[in-house]
Amino acid sequence: MSVVVIGLNHHSSQVELRERFAFPEAVIPEALQQMRDAGLANEAVILSTCNRVELYVVTPQAEMESFKALKEFLKTHRQFEGELNEEVYALGEPQSLEHLFKVASGLDSMLLGETEILGQLKKAYDIALQSKQTGGRLNKIFQKAFNVAKYIRTHTNIQRGSVSVGSAAVELAEKIFETLSDRNVMVIGAGDTSEKTARSLMSRGAKSVIVSNRSYDRAEALAKELNGRAVHFDDWASEFANIDIVISSTSAPHYVLDRKKLAPLMALRHNRPLLLIDIAVPRDIEPEVNFMENVYLYNIDDLQAIAEDYLKQRREEIARCEVIIRDKIKELLNSGPPRQQSQDGRFGFGQESST
Amino acid sequence: MTDRNWFQIAVLLYGISMIYSVFLWRKGFREDNRVNYFLLLSAFAGHTIALMQRGFSFSRCPVTNLYEATVFIIWTMVAAYLIFGIWSRLRFLGAFLSPVFFCVSVFALMPALDNHHGPNPEFFVPGWQNSLHAAMFALAYAAFGLSAGAGLMYLTQEHDLKFHKARAILSLMPPIQRLEVVTWRLMQTGISLLTGALLISMSYLNKTQGSYWSDDPKVLWSFLVWGIYLGLMIMRWRMEQGGRKFAWGAVAGFAFVLLTFWGTNLLSPIHNP
Repeated sequence: MSVVVIGLNHHSSQVELRERFAFPEAVIPEALQQMRDAGLANEAVILSTCNRVELYVVTPQAEMESFKALKEFLKTHRQFEGELNEEVYALGEPQSLEHLFKVASGLDSMLLGETEILGQLKKAYDIALQSKQTGGRLNKIFQKAFNVAKYIRTHTNIQRGSVSVGSAAVELAEKIFETLSDRNVMVIGAGDTSEKTARSLMSRGAKSVIVSNRSYDRAEALAKELNGRAVHFDDWASEFANIDIVISSTSAPHYVLDRKKLAPLMALRHNRPLLLIDIAVPRDIEPEVNFMENVYLYNIDDLQAIAEDYLKQRREEIARCEVIIRDKIKELLNSGPPRQQSQDGRFGFGQESST
Repeated sequence: MTDRNWFQIAVLLYGISMIYSVFLWRKGFREDNRVNYFLLLSAFAGHTIALMQRGFSFSRCPVTNLYEATVFIIWTMVAAYLIFGIWSRLRFLGAFLSPVFFCVSVFALMPALDNHHGPNPEFFVPGWQNSLHAAMFALAYAAFGLSAGAGLMYLTQEHDLKFHKARAILSLMPPIQRLEVVTWRLMQTGISLLTGALLISMSYLNKTQGSYWSDDPKVLWSFLVWGIYLGLMIMRWRMEQGGRKFAWGAVAGFAFVLLTFWGTNLLSPIHNP
C-alpha cells in the first residue's frame, strides 16, 4: 500500500479555486470517514490551509486508480462541477513523502521557510489521529516529517532571517543594541508600515513607544494600541534625549530631521547609538545624518534589500534541505516493512503530474 | 622534538587557520566555524607542549626572554579564545584572532629573540617577583590584544551597518554595543594587570638597584603604554568618546605595542644584556 498525495496549492491554482476546495475544520473527520467507507483510503490526513488543500492517503488501490478516485472525491465532496486539470497534482511514493517533508519544512510555502505550516500540519494530523483515521503507516511518516522539519530548522538557514520590513528593522536593532528591553522607540508619522515596525520592536521587548503625528488624535489612537504615549508633532524633538530607535513615515515634502537638527540632539543623548528608520517617501531624514558618529540610518529600500538578501539566502539553502530530505526518506523506507511496488510506470515513483 | 619544534608546528597551524579565516570573512561569518576552532585547538596543544617543555627544562616560568614572553602572550590569547569558542556563537572570533596569532608567532620565531641567558644577570635576582612581573606583563598585553580583536570586530560591524551591507545582519557577529563593552572590559583588565606588573617591577627594581625608578628604555616604554591605555579609557569614560574612536584606539594601542615591544626590549640593558 502506497502513500499518495493529491491536492492543489498556491503554485498550481488561484485563491478563488483553492477557497472552493478548502475543508472547514468541522467537516474533516466526516470527510476522512467517507474516504475510508468508499474504500479510497486505509489511513488519511486532510491538510487544509489558505495556501493548500491536500489529502495524504494510504491507498489500497494502485496509485493511478487512486489518483482518479481521490480527485473525484474532492470534486464531489466540495461540490465542484467544473473541470480540474493542471490545478491538481498527484504524487505517488516516494515523491509523496518528499512532498510532505518539504511542506513540513516550509520549502513548499509561499513564504519560503515559514514555520506556520508546521503547526497547521500538526493540527491536521492531530484531527485525523483523534478521529482514528491514521494507522501505523501515516503515524510513522508524519512523525518523521515533524522530526525532519525540526532537523532542517536547526541545521540549515532556511528559516533564518527577516523577510519583511518590520522584522528586518528588528534584526538591525538587535545588531546595534545589546538588548531591546531597555530601548525607547519613537514613531514619527502614524502610518501602516511604521505601526507594523513599531509592533515588531515592541514584541521583541522594546521598553516604550512614543508616537508623534500631525493629527494628534491619530497619534493618540496608535499610542493606545501600542501601549505607548502620544506627543504633539511640534514637541517630538524634546523627547529625543531618551530615544534609541526612530521610525519616521510622515508625508512631509521636506526633511523632518536633518544633520543640523540632529547634532545637538545627539549631544543630549551623550552620543549613544541611534537607529533611524525612514520609511517615508519622499524621505523624512536627510541621508547625510548617516555620516554622523553612532547614527545608523536605513530607508525603505535598505530594509527591503535586507529582506531580499534573506530570501536569497533561504533560496540558496533549498538544495541543502532537499539532500537532507532525500536521506531521511531513504532512512524511513529502509527502516519500514517492504513497500508494495507501484504497478504504474508513470506514477511508480510519484512523478509530479496533474491528473 | 625540542620545544621550538613544537612551537613551529603550532605556528604552521596558526597559518593554516589564518588562510581558512579568509574564507570565513568572505562568507560573512554566516557559518559556525568549527574547523577553524579545531585548527586553533590543535595549534594550542602544540603550543602548550612547547611552553611546558621549556618550563620544565629550565625549572621556571618560561617568560624570561623576548621569545618566551611572546610565546606566552599568544598562548594566553589562544586559551582565552578557546574558552569563548566553547559557545558556538562566539566561535567566529577565531577568524579575527588567527591572523594576530600567526603574525605574532612568526615574530617570536626570529632567532635573535630567543636569548637563552634571559635577563641581564647583573640585574637578575631569582625569586617569585621576577616570574610574576613577567607573567603579569604578558597577561596584560594578551588582554590588550584581545581588546584590539574586539575593537576590530566593532569596526568591521560598524562599517557594515553604516554602509548597509547585508553582512551586518547576516553574520554571526554580536551587537556593536556588546563589542564595545567587551573592548572596554578587556582594556580594563589589561590596565589592571599592567598596573600590578609595574608595581611589582618597581619593587623588583628597588631590590636589585636600590631605586624604584630606572630610565631603562623598556621601563619608560611600559609606562608610556600604561599612559596610552589610561588616556584611551579616560577619553571614553569622561569625554563620551566611545564607539568608533574608542575601537580605533584599542586597535592602534595594540599595534603600537606590537611594533615597539621588540625594539625597546633590544634597547634595554636590563632585559637584553
